Formats: sequence, structure tokens, C-alpha cells
Amino acid sequence: MSAIVDSIEGPGADHVHYLGSMQTIEFPMKRYEENEEIDYVVVGVGAAGGVLLQRLSRAGFKVVGIEAGPFWDTERDWVSDEAGSHQLYWEDMRVTGGKNPLALGANNCGKGVGGGSVHWAAFTPRFHPSDFEVYSRDGVGADWPISYWDLKPYYQLLELEMPVAGPAWYPWGDPHGYPFGPHPMGGVGNTLIRGCTNLGIPVSAGGPVAILSGSRGDRPHCIYRGFCIQGCKVGAKASTLITHVPDALANGAEIRDRCMVSRIHHDKKINRVTGVSYIDSEGCGRFQKAKAVIVSGYAIETPRLLLNSACDGYENGLANSSDTVGRYLMAQAGNVIAGRFDEPVRMYKAPPAHALTEEFYETDPKRDFARGFAIQTVGPLPIAFAKQMMAARGSWGWGMRRTMMDYNHWSAFGLLGEILPWPENRVTLAEEKDQFGLRVAHVNFELHENDKMLIEFGRNKVEQVMHAAGAEEVVQEARYAHLVGAARMGKDPATSVVDCFGRTHDIANLFVCDGSILPTQGSANPGLTIQALAARTADYLISQGEIIFNSDRRDMTPAPVRPELSPPGTHGVGVPRFA
Amino acid sequence: MNSPHENCDADSLDRRPLDPNSGQPLPEREQPGYYPGFSTLSQQRYWDAATRRKVLERVHETPPIRFFTPEEARMMEAIAAHVLPQDDRVPARRIPIVPRIDERLHKGRTAGYRFAKMPPDGDAYRLGFQAIELMAQKNHARAFIELTWGKQDAILKTIHDAKPGDGAAEVWEKMPIHRYWALVVQDCVEAYYSHPWAWDEIGFGGPAYPRAYMRLEHGEPEPWEVEEQRYAWEAPPDAVSDSKGPAIAAHGEHPSQGQGGTH
Repeated sequence: MSAIVDSIEGPGADHVHYLGSMQTIEFPMKRYEENEEIDYVVVGVGAAGGVLLQRLSRAGFKVVGIEAGPFWDTERDWVSDEAGSHQLYWEDMRVTGGKNPLALGANNCGKGVGGGSVHWAAFTPRFHPSDFEVYSRDGVGADWPISYWDLKPYYQLLELEMPVAGPAWYPWGDPHGYPFGPHPMGGVGNTLIRGCTNLGIPVSAGGPVAILSGSRGDRPHCIYRGFCIQGCKVGAKASTLITHVPDALANGAEIRDRCMVSRIHHDKKINRVTGVSYIDSEGCGRFQKAKAVIVSGYAIETPRLLLNSACDGYENGLANSSDTVGRYLMAQAGNVIAGRFDEPVRMYKAPPAHALTEEFYETDPKRDFARGFAIQTVGPLPIAFAKQMMAARGSWGWGMRRTMMDYNHWSAFGLLGEILPWPENRVTLAEEKDQFGLRVAHVNFELHENDKMLIEFGRNKVEQVMHAAGAEEVVQEARYAHLVGAARMGKDPATSVVDCFGRTHDIANLFVCDGSILPTQGSANPGLTIQALAARTADYLISQGEIIFNSDRRDMTPAPVRPELSPPGTHGVGVPRFA
Repeated sequence: MNSPHENCDADSLDRRPLDPNSGQPLPEREQPGYYPGFSTLSQQRYWDAATRRKVLERVHETPPIRFFTPEEARMMEAIAAHVLPQDDRVPARRIPIVPRIDERLHKGRTAGYRFAKMPPDGDAYRLGFQAIELMAQKNHARAFIELTWGKQDAILKTIHDAKPGDGAAEVWEKMPIHRYWALVVQDCVEAYYSHPWAWDEIGFGGPAYPRAYMRLEHGEPEPWEVEEQRYAWEAPPDAVSDSKGPAIAAHGEHPSQGQGGTH
């Protein structure tokens, strides 16, 4: 055992910056001068920002990413501990209201290089072809300005770059296979498979999830410790921190961490943005000049920054002539259905994300609501589970102690249900200010009739599956998961913020690229789609070259797919493709 | 381990869980729960250094009270003793709850949001003290901390049920009662179930990097974990918290959406 114990002391003790247990990174990185005009400044280095920086730097652009949180050293900064992981989440103040207020923070918002991809559970289903034409098919929501087939090549690229483990044949949406093999089952996955199988519902086991089921290069395979959403110290779970940021830095990108962007500057005479103001890690105000700005702050910080950047000519918020910035915010129904089993489950082992069914994903004319839902494994650790039992079972006092003594007998599934985009579900600015003197976000959220019917049906279905798996007691907590929308893309500048490449309709050198541009959300976890959209936007920007910087011309020709811009060693390596 | 604790007075005996066969209070244990002999801390040499540092700091260092006044701290101790009772534990193995809550409020750490109808967390705690004190005075003409265990439990149960009567209506108008209750319960469970002694109690394996888990299926224990050994127990006679009450989520607004961030 001594070798193991020695290695435990190893990483982090030698001032090497670790990204996962094996990968290290060389500092210092490239530094641009403050008054040097760079090509692109990317606000927020998360799921989208990491991919953008990697692609744009590899293509030779001068790029700076400005990130509000830290540049993590995963050995030094992360812990296998629920209560010790709060710093991974955006826990600066926000106000949440409306008839069905959303919980924010740990639930859906990341902070630090890698953003939400650091604490996601890493389920990576693709959206279905139907997701891109919800309005045409069902008369609800909105159509995307692109189709599934426009995005498919980028799904394929990102599934390799992360890479994704899962079955060789995934039957839903556009059927396809995954490059890494499925993970072994844990207790929760087994209950989902048993319940679904007893009801004749097809189920996918062992993925799709962006967690390595076998070692690759300087990233080891999953060790099934269950702390995925506390950040993967192992380096098995994909985050842009370990998949794309190292290649970005190697190609000359600069990342300024612990820097909070406060305003995007706009020159009214030419109707172009000129750079961003930010407060650096020392508390000093700075300005970075740039030929173009990409906002990748996710569904709350992106609209908040645009609204806080209101100026002469854009009094209601930058790029907000449509009054759409902040609107059409979406969360997915994320009810947790927990079941108690006679036999032990020990749900803390294995990744929370390891089995699912999308059998109920599409609109079913036999139901009286549009769209559908997925059923997925979740594996709440003790604190999360205790909070769920408070809500689901009313547990407190001796009842809480008794419930928790049975922790190892519980399994938990997540409903992932599509909630439609509604204009009054929106991000606005609250009166109160944060530590930088910036007005904080106010989030308003309310369920509509279709949403409520879908949640009721979905929740009952998940409960049926849990019973069919053999649970003796089944309880549920109503909650939400993920956040998208609030700066949506569309063809019509009157009803959307950005075009199909993420360029704002109002300002030719201002882009938005993150989850906020999604017009609808399906019932798939958004992480893969966000990164695929970022790779697509990068290809467009690279094809346009200097035109973006010198002209307001809006060329809507799709760009060729550039697999050669993938991080080294990821493209075209050993892919079983049965589709 | 699990030896009866001596020197316990009659009051603490009343507050102990019972052996359902004998009807007698169960002895205080070093480690309640169904996993006797299981110790996550005994595995700490297999944890990474940062995790070990974080968990050991939690075990060995209890932060001082800085946010609550001494009087508020006493009140909070009385409340926490009901929200997360620990009378089945020997005093030396009780997990500090109130110092953790105080530390969070002192440092101004939030969950990353505030419900629009709620005051800031610190103010919510203070309004809660005010309401509970008013309810105690109105119903029993005594301070809350002077009431018997059973009467205290009953007052808190009315808050859990969101049916506080008219004892403190003017305070509950200032904040939704179910959100206040969720705030307190969530803070208490976060303090308790973040402690390795609580992990031992519930059979949670705790940190497992870099060593990993090997036995993923059928709830099988790792070689260093132990099999469950259940025993029957009943909550103390005066306690009202061990019945399966109506889910709080039955109220109009859901109190606790996704705090744990499970997906």
C-alpha cells in the first residue's frame, strides 16, 4: 500500500498546477498588454467559453478569456466533500421570485475556469431533431434558426473531444453510438434498469456521459467515487478546464481569472463594441480593448451583463432593441423521485449520471400536452439527500435521523422535463448591488399549463418506474434543473437577440455564445449542445476572419466543419459508429 | 464503543430514544446507526491531502460564535436540538450545528440566491427567533428555552406544518413560514451530515479519491466498509418529529428546489 499512500501526498505538494490527477499545466501563459487591441475577448470561461478560446487560439486569433472565478488547481482546490465544494458554484447574491421561483447557486451555476462543466453530472445526450422545430410541429415554443443536421457534425466532434462513454447503439432521436464503452452499473442504475424493464420501457445503461470508462492519455478512467458534481479530482469527467483550456493556453490564449466583467463598451457613432471593463483580482478597475466581444456568461450572467451595459442608444440594455434580452429563460423540470428498497443500494457509488431513458421525449398525441421528458439516474450524497427528504417527506428531527440512517436503502431518479419558453420568465436587474457595486440579477419564473401537465405526467411515470423496480416507499421533491435561454437565437431580430451564429442582431461585433442562446431546451441535459454550438460559432468566426473586425456585413453562409481544430489526439480516434 | 454514558440526569434520559421492546431509554452511543465499527476517519490515509485537511479541520476546529448574540445562540441551540436531536450520542460525539450556521451568517455566505419574499438569511434567523419567542409566550407564558422538551417540539412542529396559529402572525407576515423552516432545516442538516461521525452513522463511504470504489452493485460494502446491522428504536415519547408528516412540498410554493444540485 505504500506506493498508493505516497502518491496521495504527491500531487499538489510540489507547486505543479494539476488539472486532474495526472495532467499538469505550465505557467506563465501568454499575457497581452492592457492597451493592446486583441481580436476576441470572451466573457466567461465555462462550457462554451473554453471551447471558443481553444478553437480561436488554435486558428491564430489573439484571444483573452475573462473569468469571474478562479483558475482551479484540482489537487489543491477541490475536495471529495459536499460541504467543502461551495466555491465551485456561483453563490454571489441573486434574487429569485415569481410564482415558481428557481433555486440557483449549486443547482445550476458554476464559477471558475470550466464554469458549469466543472460541476455538471456530465450526462451528454444530444438534442433530438424534433427539438429544432418545436413550433412547426406542435405550435408551442419556437423553432431554432438551425436544424439538428447543422449541429450534428459538432455533436460528433465534441463527443470525441470530451469524450463520451455510452452504448454503441443509442436508439433515441438520431440513433448513434459512442466512442468509449458504457460504464459498469451502480445501485441506482440497476434500479432504473429493473423498473424500466419490468414496464417494457427501453433504457440506456452506462451513458451517454462525458466520463472516461477507460484511461486516455493523461486522463485516468473513472474511479466511481460519486463526487462528480463536487468537481472531478480524478480528471475522468470532462470539463473544459481539462479538455479545452490546456490546448487554448498552448496556442497563446490568455485567461484572466478572478476578474469580474462589469460593462461592455459601445461606440454609438459606429454602433460597435470596443472592449470590456472589469474588476481584477486585486479589486482594480481595468479595461480590455478588443475587436469583438463574445459573452459566454450563461443564462443569468449573460443577460445581466447586457442589461448592466445599457448605454446611449441601448437604454434598455445592450443589443436589446427587441426587448428579448433576459426573456424566455428556461429551466427543466427536475423532480427527484426517491424510492426506499429493502435491500441496500449505496447510491453514493458510481457517477450520479449513469443510466437513462428517453422513451417519453417526443410529443405523444395520446397525451394532452406538447413535448416530453427523460428519466435519469441521480445519486444524491448525504447532505443533498437530507435536503430532498426534508422537502419530499417532511423529514426533520428524529424523523430526519431515522430517514438518513436508511440512506443506503434509497435510490433516486431524476425527471428531466421540457419546460417551454415564456416571455415573462426572465432575468431583470434587482435594485440591490453585489460586492462590485453591480446590480444583481432578479429571476422571475412561473410554470404554465403545458409545463404543469407535463410535470404531473412525468412525475407519475417516474414513480411507476420506481415502484416497478421494487421500491416499497416512493416520494418526490419538486425542483428544477439546468438553465438556458434569456438571449435566444432566431431569424427575426424583433423576437430574438442573436442570429444562428450567436451574433447579436443589433451590433455586428458583439456575440453571445452559451446556454442563453437556446430557443427551446428539449429534455436533454444542455452541456453537450452548448459546447457543440460554441464549436460551430468558432468555425463561423474563423471562416469570416477579418470581416468580423472590419465590417458590419452579415454573411449567413454556414462555415465548413474544421475537425483539425479539435484538441490534439481527439479527432478520428477509435470510434465505433453503428449509426 | 456504544457503551452507556454515565452521569446522565433525568431530563436527558427523557430525551433519549427508546428500546421498543423494553420501553426503556437506549444507552447513549459513541456511534448511533446501523454500521457499528465503521469509521470513515480510519481511512483518512487513503484520502487526498486537500480533502483530509478540510475534513479534519471540521472535526477538530469549531468556529466561535460571532454572528449570534449569546442569547440568540442559546435560542438557536435549543432549536437545533429539535431539528437535529443528538441525545442518542455521548456528549463528546455530538456534532456542532450552531457554530456552523453562525459561521456562514458571519461570513455572509449564501446559497447563491435569496427568495424575493425572504429577507437576507441573517435577518430571517432573527425574525424566526422573534416569532418562536412570541409563540412560546402566547401559548405558555414562558420563554421558549424554559419550556419542556415536548412543548418546544410542539411549537416547532407547528412551524414545520406551516400552521403557527396566531401566536406570531405579525412576524410570519414578513417572511413565508415554510421558507424559514426550510432555511433552518437545510442549515442544520448541512452541518450534521458534513461530519464524518454522521457518515459513519449512515454508512456513507465518504471521500474515496484516490483509492476508488470497487463494489458498485447490490449495495455491497467495500472491504473497508461494513455490513448493516439494524436495531429497532423509537423516538422519545414527547417528540413529534418522527411521524411521517405531509410533505412540505404540498404547500403552494416548493420550499427546496434543487438545493443539492443533483442534476
